[in-house]
Amino acid sequence: MEAFLFFSCGALMLLGGVMMVLQRSAVVAALWLVFAFIAASGVFAALSAPFLAIMQVLVYAGAIMVLFLFVIMMLQGPVLEGERKRLALPMWPAVAIPPVAVLVLVGSWLSRRHAEALPVQPAGFGSPGQVADLLLGRYLLAFELISIVLLVAIIGALALGNRERKLPWS
Amino acid sequence: MVVTLNHCLLLAAGIFVVGMTGFVVRRNALVMLMCIELMLSAVNIVFAAFSRQNGDASGHVFVLMNFAVAAAEAAIGLAILVEIYRRRRTVDVDELKSLME
Repeated sequence: MEAFLFFSCGALMLLGGVMMVLQRSAVVAALWLVFAFIAASGVFAALSAPFLAIMQVLVYAGAIMVLFLFVIMMLQGPVLEGERKRLALPMWPAVAIPPVAVLVLVGSWLSRRHAEALPVQPAGFGSPGQVADLLLGRYLLAFELISIVLLVAIIGALALGNRERKLPWS
Repeated sequence: MVVTLNHCLLLAAGIFVVGMTGFVVRRNALVMLMCIELMLSAVNIVFAAFSRQNGDASGHVFVLMNFAVAAAEAAIGLAILVEIYRRRRTVDVDELKSLME
């Protein structure tokens, strides 16, 4: 059951990614990416990370992709027109070499180690409670720092989106 | 058929490569940002897999951090993109050659 969930969701996620790259329309690409992220949530569930599975749908497929779709709707006409002209495969060796290199590296490392099944974890593993204990305990400083990162992102996005350029420091 | 760490790493590598290839091939800056999101997602799978392998949920915390970083990156990137579109009327990266406005 777990293996079935992992392999089917993994395959669907790969499919979603490939379709996103191949789609010329930005809207359709965004929808394929939502598909891939929902499949990723299934992968997390198979890796006994239920909290991450839920957060993946809420944060990625929900919040971040809605942000993308809003911007696509703002820019839609010109974006689609520009993308229709050509799908540019510039200097295809430059495109082909990095993937092959990564796969060879990973494959050579994989062939020797970690061929046994992932250990089964106790029932509460990856539950919201356990993650919260770590997040607000051992990793409290990182938690506070990431909140500052988000605050800076909010301020930066507001400053960039300010049409009149009446910023308090200028 | 059981899930091994190798399967997780191969899946993550495959997704990362798809994202990387898309980033190089596509010229629409919006889709390039989406490819970055896909690459971040591949990293999350590796975190979750090693977390399960070692029986330590710390990896899940780092995935949550990665979510926050991805959200911040999307917000700032899209704000920059909208500003570029206002000035240049395009988000095609081939057209955006000049740093000087």
